[in-house]
Amino acid sequence: MTTKSIGRLALLVVVLLGLGACGGRNGSATQSTRSATTMTLYTCVSDSTIQPVITAFEKSDPGSTVDLFRAPTGQLNARVAADTRSGGLRADVIWGCDPLTMQAFVEQRLVGGWIPAGADAIPAQYRTGNYVGAQLLYMVAVHRTTVPAPRSWSDLAGPGYAKVAVPDPTVAASALGALGWFAANPDYGMDFYRKLKSAGAVQVSTPDDVTTGVAQGIYDAGMTTSNSAYAAKKDGSPVDVVWPEPGAVAIYGPVALATHSAHAQVAKDFITFVTGDAGQRVIGASGTYPTRPGVPGPTIPTGAPIVHPDWTRIGTTKAAIELGYKQVFGG
Amino acid sequence: MPRGTPRLLPRLTALVVAFLAVLVVLPLCRLVLVVWQEGRADIAPMAGSDGLRTAVWHTVALAAAVTLAAVPIGVTMALVLRRSDLPGRPFWQVAVLVPVLVPDFVLGYSWTQAYARAGFTDTLLGLRWAGIQGPLGVWLVLVVNAAPLVYLVVAVGLAARTEPDLERAARVSGAGPATTLLTVTLRLALPGVAAAAVLVFVLTLGTFAIPQVLGAPAGFSTVTTRIYANLSLGGDPTSFIEAITLALLLVIVAAVCVAPADALLAPRLRAVRGADTQGIPALPGRRAVRRAEAFGLAGYLFLTVALPLTALVLSSVTRALGLPPTPGNWTLAHFREVLTPRTFQALGRSLGLAVVAATVLVLLGALVAVIERARSGRAAATLITLTLVLPGSTLAVGLLITYGRWLSGTLTLILLAYLAKLWAFAHRPIAGALDRLPPDEMHASRASGARALTAVRTVALRPLAPALLGAWLVCFLSALHEVTMSSLLYGPGTETFAVVVLNSQELGRIGPTAALSVVLSLLVTVPAVLLFLAVGRLRPRPSRPPEHLPLEVARVG
Repeated sequence: MTTKSIGRLALLVVVLLGLGACGGRNGSATQSTRSATTMTLYTCVSDSTIQPVITAFEKSDPGSTVDLFRAPTGQLNARVAADTRSGGLRADVIWGCDPLTMQAFVEQRLVGGWIPAGADAIPAQYRTGNYVGAQLLYMVAVHRTTVPAPRSWSDLAGPGYAKVAVPDPTVAASALGALGWFAANPDYGMDFYRKLKSAGAVQVSTPDDVTTGVAQGIYDAGMTTSNSAYAAKKDGSPVDVVWPEPGAVAIYGPVALATHSAHAQVAKDFITFVTGDAGQRVIGASGTYPTRPGVPGPTIPTGAPIVHPDWTRIGTTKAAIELGYKQVFGG
Repeated sequence: MPRGTPRLLPRLTALVVAFLAVLVVLPLCRLVLVVWQEGRADIAPMAGSDGLRTAVWHTVALAAAVTLAAVPIGVTMALVLRRSDLPGRPFWQVAVLVPVLVPDFVLGYSWTQAYARAGFTDTLLGLRWAGIQGPLGVWLVLVVNAAPLVYLVVAVGLAARTEPDLERAARVSGAGPATTLLTVTLRLALPGVAAAAVLVFVLTLGTFAIPQVLGAPAGFSTVTTRIYANLSLGGDPTSFIEAITLALLLVIVAAVCVAPADALLAPRLRAVRGADTQGIPALPGRRAVRRAEAFGLAGYLFLTVALPLTALVLSSVTRALGLPPTPGNWTLAHFREVLTPRTFQALGRSLGLAVVAATVLVLLGALVAVIERARSGRAAATLITLTLVLPGSTLAVGLLITYGRWLSGTLTLILLAYLAKLWAFAHRPIAGALDRLPPDEMHASRASGARALTAVRTVALRPLAPALLGAWLVCFLSALHEVTMSSLLYGPGTETFAVVVLNSQELGRIGPTAALSVVLSLLVTVPAVLLFLAVGRLRPRPSRPPEHLPLEVARVG
């Protein structure tokens, strides 16, 4: 094989790599030549919600466009971490799924420093000076229709359920929010998880895994998000949903402006839209719970009890409560 | 010495070194640098934690146990399916590969649906296996998933290396079938077996989806599940650094295990064989034995492939989870829901990426297989194995940190990720069959005036074709299924099919994901079958047989 042959081989590889690149945008060129009315959004909000929100925003603000990166929280965090170590965060707006992650971004000075003027229409427990809650999820109980419905969370640790599934709080922020609320509540505390474990409860990965397992019949009941449980019920799975006493645990998904956004105006317009009445209605219609009071959203039974974790306290005691939990469920 | 040959190896080595630098060394160095700069103070306390020690123990033990079980199963399959007189052989050759077609992220689900409480066997026969959600279940599903890979690597190695003449000679000389198997056939298959064992061990070290789905309910954690947990709640830099550190720990474990094997074992397993000495079909056996083999294969495939995959297919057409999968509950709604114009665009992108990645990977894999036969190139094989063990999320982060400034959100970066992750996939099967590329015949061809490419095409390509096609197939399927890196690296207009699958996999709704998996499996089954048939056709044809003589007659003669 001569230099010419190796050259041909190298050329073939380059051509194939070039073919692979066809259709993909050139990152640096796109960054530098993008219009001021194009912003980048990083989010973990479900595709079925984020797509209609973007469509409605682009319609309400002609000329503005949103480049989307949507991924589960783990991938979103990894992308943010990689961005910050390779030239800086490329998002103009981050829309997260829990306040803990967003607070960590604030502490790294990646986001924050601005919230829209109309943010006070959102209840105070769903906002800080750096970010505003745009959507909610609720941790509820899901159970097979063949077993009695639990009235309170403590019923899940009782004898009526052969197998109960709980989501892993070291994986899902919603599960950590619930753990934080139970740990801080004197009627429950870590003892609640000990009783669950003693009664045969098992830990699965995410709330969606709980729903899947209960719908399949592997578990009798479990702790999951209301969207997931109602979706299974709507599809026809033999499950039912309970908002147990003393309350379903509310977890809000905050939206924040990137500190060094290169397209700050359109980014601010977007945040104003999603936390405003019009954006909140789109969120509600897409099947996700809006944070703005009075905006219609998915099912919340009349009089359903709701409790709110103290996110600041969870943030400061996270290591301790995770340790207490691991002593019960391992990991 | 043919012209050009003295300069050949250094030039090929330089080419491989350049790719190694881009795909492996730079991203790994960037990750090491990040950990060193931001988290070196945390390494010692983290290394001393009980949880980590347990996870490392679980990971290494699982990788060893899976390798020990999957390799014999895969080798047995390859040996049984060599026999042209096996009843229904073409069907079995395709059927054993089916688990490779199913993405990892639905495989765990299909097993619980088949064997767990309220699953198929529980509903129909009252039989359930509680252990499916635990270490034993994780091990079993990983073994079943790895066995086809072993089969593929060993089968292409056998297709290129075995010499039925030698087996026949052994039998004629009085050796029994077992002695012939041990002293001739398996000896010739050893490079392929070693290649497959390394691949399975390293892949299991880095596997994530199945331990996460089936291990979590039993509190069974591995290094990769800890990395996932760290990234999931890793808005804070400490968790991120811990995740990267754990991934680098996996790289060290892989290097410690694989480097000695590559350095010491691989050269001893190599031999040089003529390019055209093979081709006589394997020895015929007794009909009853072949029937028993076919029956055993059928039973294995029924329990490990047919039942779980039937559960998956039924989930794709059943209205909701938990409903009996009877015709009254069947619907095509899940297919309608997922087959959108966006899905088709993503599918086209994925197919293009997978074809390009597999083609480039086969070239790169062949290059490493060639240069590693010289002492100077031996480290290359180990180096490219290090990115195989890196969890996809961490490798993607390494590539983003290294090249994100210029390539963030582009298909080029996704392609680089596939090349980095799957290079060892392409290399090992080719390396396991390269004995069939005898330098003397290449030299003779060049000395007779053939140009380099002509010599490669006429002398090397045909005997290596099964290995090249096998490597291409494994890389194509792996690239098509890849989800972790793609979901972290994509940008506007560069979503792959697996990213669309992941985005649809919300709220625990398995139906749409199962539907997409079925579509994906069908789409790859067609080229897979075609390729498999092509492999068969490209195998060197039998030379004129002394084999028409039954063995007994030959012995008497």
